[in-house]
Amino acid sequence: MLSFEHVSKFILSDVSLHIPKGQVVGLIGDTGAGKTTLIKLASGLLKPEEGRVSVMGKDPQDNRSRYGTRLSVLITGTKLLEDGDSARSGLDMLRYTYAIPKEEYLQSYRELSDRFGFKGYENAKLKELSTGQRRRVELAAVCIMRPELVILDEPDVGLDEEGKQILEELVREQAREGVTYLITSHNMPEISNMCDRLAILAEGRLMFYGSESVLRSQYLPINTMTITYDGAIPNIDDLPIVRYRMDGNRIAYDYNSRYITASEVLNVLMKQTGILDVKIQKTDLEQIISKLHG
Amino acid sequence: MLKYLAYAKKAFLGRSAYRFDHLMGILSTCLQFFIFYEIYRALYGSGDSVDGITMSMVTTNFVLSLGLGAMFSPDDYYLPRRIWDGSISTELLRPISFPGRMIAENVGASCFNLIFKFVPVLLIAIFTTGMEKPAGAVSMILFIVSALLGYGVLWTISFLVQMTSFWLINIWSLITIKDVLVNVCSGKMIPLWFMPVWMTGILRFTPFEAIYFTPVQIYLGQLTMPEMLTKCAVQIVWIVILYLIGSILWKQGQKKLIVQGG
Repeated sequence: MLSFEHVSKFILSDVSLHIPKGQVVGLIGDTGAGKTTLIKLASGLLKPEEGRVSVMGKDPQDNRSRYGTRLSVLITGTKLLEDGDSARSGLDMLRYTYAIPKEEYLQSYRELSDRFGFKGYENAKLKELSTGQRRRVELAAVCIMRPELVILDEPDVGLDEEGKQILEELVREQAREGVTYLITSHNMPEISNMCDRLAILAEGRLMFYGSESVLRSQYLPINTMTITYDGAIPNIDDLPIVRYRMDGNRIAYDYNSRYITASEVLNVLMKQTGILDVKIQKTDLEQIISKLHG
Repeated sequence: MLKYLAYAKKAFLGRSAYRFDHLMGILSTCLQFFIFYEIYRALYGSGDSVDGITMSMVTTNFVLSLGLGAMFSPDDYYLPRRIWDGSISTELLRPISFPGRMIAENVGASCFNLIFKFVPVLLIAIFTTGMEKPAGAVSMILFIVSALLGYGVLWTISFLVQMTSFWLINIWSLITIKDVLVNVCSGKMIPLWFMPVWMTGILRFTPFEAIYFTPVQIYLGQLTMPEMLTKCAVQIVWIVILYLIGSILWKQGQKKLIVQGG
C-alpha cells in the first residue's frame, strides 16, 4: 500500500519501510524528528531528495488530486474544512468534491455524526467550535471520503477521552475492512493501542519498525508479574527470573519476556501455591523511546 | 461539472449571509457614481459635448463600468489566504481543479452581485441620471458577450497576481497596484476618451481597456460590426495569454511547494 525506499528529505535520512494494506501504523517521534515530512512525502505533498516513495503502486507525485479519492490526509494545523462552514455544509461540499453518491453519503453522514456526537452542533460554524469539537468533525470528514489510505497527523490533539476511544474503535473497525492507516503521535502509549506496527523516528532516522511486542522484547524485555498468594512460597529455581521482591503475601517477579512468557511463569507458580491475584506490568513505552534516543 | 456548480452555489448563498455588507456595497457604488457624475457635470457646465463625447455618454460609462466593477469582484486573496494558513496543501490533494474551483466560487459570487448589486445600481442610475440606451439589439447582445469577456480578463489578471504569492507570500502591495491600474486604465475612473493620445496608444497594448471600456464602447454603438468582433477577439486573446501565464506560475508554484515544503 505504502512504501519508502531509502528516502531522504530535509531531516529524514535513508528511511525505508513498507506498510501493507489494512495495517495501522503508528509513527512516533519527538518534535522535529521528521514525522510531518514523512507524511507529506506519503501524501505527495513533498518530493524526496533521494529514494523512492510509492503509494498504491505509484509515485504519489503523479496526479495528486486523482489520488485524493483514495487517500485522506489530516495534517494538524492545516484546515481540512473552511472556518465559515458548518459540519453539515463542510461535509456536504466533500460529497460533491469526491462525487460520493447521495444515498451512500447520507448514510455515512448519519453514522459518523452519531458516532462522533456532533449532531447537536452540526449547523454551527466550525470557527465557533472548540478544538475538540472541530477535531471530531474533521475526523468524520476524513472517513466520509471512503479512502483506502488514511494519513492522520496527531489526530488526538484536542480530543477528550471519549473522542480518543471513538477514534480508536473506528480505526480498528476500518482496518478490518482493509483501510490502511498511518498515524503520527507524540503520545506513544495511546497510539500503540490502535496500531499493528510502530515506526519510531529520531532525528530523521527510522530507529524501529515493527510490532509493539517485538519492540518490547528487543529493547526493554523485562516485565514484572506481581502475585498475591495463599499457601507456600513458590520455588522459582527453574524459572529465568531476573529478580524478585517480597512484601507480605505478595511477590513481584521481574522476568525477561524474550525467554519466557507471562503464562509460562504463572503456570509454574499455580502448580505450587494458591494464586489470589495477578498483575503484569510492562515497561513504559516512553522509556523505550528514551532508550532509542540514546 | 456538478462539483463546480456546488461551489458556485455555495459562494452565491454565502454572499447572501452578509446582507449589511452588500447593502454597503450598493451604497458605496452609488456614492462613487454620483461623485463622478457631479464632477463631470460641473466640468461640462452648459456645454453639450467635449470632443464629441456627451455628458450622457460619460454617465453611461460610469454606470456600466462601476456597475460591472461591483458585479465582478475577484477574490484577490483566495490563494494567498490558503498559502498563509497552509491549507493549500490539503487543497492540492482534492480531486478538483483548484483554478476551476476559484472560477466557480467567483462566478457564484458574481451572480449574486449581478442580482443584488449591479441591477439596483443600474436602476438607481436610470431613474436619476440621463443614461444612454443601448445602440441597438446587436449592440446589446454583443455588450453582454463583451462584458462577460471583460470579466474573464479581470479574473485572469487577478489569477496571475495571486499566483505570485507562492514566491512573494504577502502580495497586498501588488494587489493594490493592480487595483489602481485596473481602476485608472480601464476607464472606470476616467473615461478613456479623455486620456491623452499617447496614453491610449499605450493602453491599447494592455488588457485594461478590454475590461470595462470595450463593453461600454459596444453598448454606445461607437464601433462598427468588424470593430466590435475584433475587440471581442482581443478580449479572448488577453484571457488566453493571462490564463496561460497564470497556469505556468500555478504549476511552478506547486513545484516550489513540493520541493521546498510549504
